[in-house]
Amino acid sequence: MPAIQAADLVKEFSRPAVLPGRLPRLRALFSTKRETTRAVNGVNFEIEPGELVGYLGPNGAGKSTTIKMLTGILTPTSGVCRVAGLEPSLDRARNARNIGVVFGQRTQLWYDLPLRDSFEVLADLYDLDRSAYLRRVGLFTELLDLEDFLDTPVRSLSLGQRMRGDLVAAMLHEPSILFLDEPTVGLDVVAKARLTEFIAETNRTDGTTVVLTTHDMDDVERLCQRIIVIDSGTVLYDGDLSRLKERFMPHRFLVLTLADRSIRRVTDMPYATEVETSAVGAVLPYPDRSVVLRFDPREITTPELIARASQVYQVDELSIVDPRLTDVIAQLYDGLLT
Amino acid sequence: MSTSPQVRAFRGMTRAGTRSVLIYRGDLLTGAVTLVIQVVLAIAVWRIVYGGRGPVNGVDASTAVAYAAIAACLQSALLPWQFSSLPMRIRSGQIATDLTRPLGLMWQALGQNLGVLLARLPLAAVGLAAAGVLGALVLPPDGAALLLAVVATVVGALIAMLCNLIVSMVAFWTLEISGPLIVYRFGSSFLSGSLIPLWFMPGWLRSSIEWLPFQAQVYTPVSLYLGQTRGIEALALVGMQLVWFAVLTLLLQAVWRRARHKVVVQGG
Repeated sequence: MPAIQAADLVKEFSRPAVLPGRLPRLRALFSTKRETTRAVNGVNFEIEPGELVGYLGPNGAGKSTTIKMLTGILTPTSGVCRVAGLEPSLDRARNARNIGVVFGQRTQLWYDLPLRDSFEVLADLYDLDRSAYLRRVGLFTELLDLEDFLDTPVRSLSLGQRMRGDLVAAMLHEPSILFLDEPTVGLDVVAKARLTEFIAETNRTDGTTVVLTTHDMDDVERLCQRIIVIDSGTVLYDGDLSRLKERFMPHRFLVLTLADRSIRRVTDMPYATEVETSAVGAVLPYPDRSVVLRFDPREITTPELIARASQVYQVDELSIVDPRLTDVIAQLYDGLLT
Repeated sequence: MSTSPQVRAFRGMTRAGTRSVLIYRGDLLTGAVTLVIQVVLAIAVWRIVYGGRGPVNGVDASTAVAYAAIAACLQSALLPWQFSSLPMRIRSGQIATDLTRPLGLMWQALGQNLGVLLARLPLAAVGLAAAGVLGALVLPPDGAALLLAVVATVVGALIAMLCNLIVSMVAFWTLEISGPLIVYRFGSSFLSGSLIPLWFMPGWLRSSIEWLPFQAQVYTPVSLYLGQTRGIEALALVGMQLVWFAVLTLLLQAVWRRARHKVVVQGG
């Protein structure tokens, strides 16, 4: 049985219609006209237990709406979703015990209370016995370094500390499925690395199924083998991360640092096109001496291209760079290649 | 709500409410000082009003003074300045995670509010102690009056919690509710009889107030304690409380059904 199942999932919102003409707001007060928008428009996917899936899409694509249906916060307009065999909106309380949820933009901790008190309240809410509670908190304290701020009120925590607290809050009751909605938003590099490491570790050791929505493609590359991309409420892509790159950005970059800095253009390289250095998206060691060539490995193999380059030019340094996921996703969102 | 995990979850929310009050010691202290001043002033004013005269409308000076003091203390416990965290949670969107809990949202809110109420009881005790020191407290006439007063206080507190929560839920539709809250706060203080005992109100006003749930919160328990209302009338007052409790429970359920529909169908 899949951990998560979405079949023809649709969610429509209806709002009072904005009326054209004079005094639109005043007239809207007395009007019963409503307009309907489809936030999620027939989404299908299945996620097996233990998978770590990136659920991606631009702002307003329907990601959070999907997550809210899977967590039982929203009722689908039509279609079915099942989480650990339950229909979340019909069985909210039982579903709650199977899932852990983090909404990165807001906290689920009690703002006025110390972190530890929030955990104790959660232990009561989820009916954890004392020994299981102490074991979990002990484990997380060690893994996420909570010791120093366990007794600090949540309102005084830094964003990174609060996020760690929120993650523990979502996992205290050992949920088999974890929904993380932008868990790394606003975090610095160190805090982000620690969090992604922890998420990967949880997925690996406990076999927790994780659904991650984020705009941070570094997170995705570090964590997910599989991604589901949605836009305007429908699935654009569902599959392997590496295959996505192959399909939408098959080329790679060869970065050459030439000994002769007077050479500004490279002309005699077949199957390779010179592009702006900025296309690589990585920091180059010697930008003023670097030349970037884009090539398609299906037309010329990487060793062949390197051999050819070293024959023609005196090369101080060279490196191969893969396209960044951000660019791939940007292309996908733009709909250029779909 | 009869199974033990649900009860434990409810107690957890109560604990969260209690702690979130107790953590702000300064706020509690200010609250205590304010209440003591209020009690002292009320006692002073009512003593001057009576000025050694006999009973007015069947109420003698010591009863009126005791009423004023006890009512102020009771009101301070029942109507805290921020009587529910629900509007704030609706505005900030935290309500979303609240809905992923294994305990229903209304039980979460009631549990939290009960915790706040319990944490504020010491405050009321300080106010009563001040009244005692000034010799303003009187004992109930007999055991039956005391017993009825205890029952009425508990039911009155439940009614106050339900009213507070129902009013807070307006936030599901309007998001911003400071306006309605101020009206409610003043209306409730006046209509519950905590500012002025209902005995001194004109007949037409009293008979309208009898149709509202507010007198059940303060007037009923205090008037029973002082033995001002006795016998069959006393039982009728408690009966009225129970009716209000049932009505408000049903009303809360109805409002919550509408609110939940709005949240889960329209996304808030």
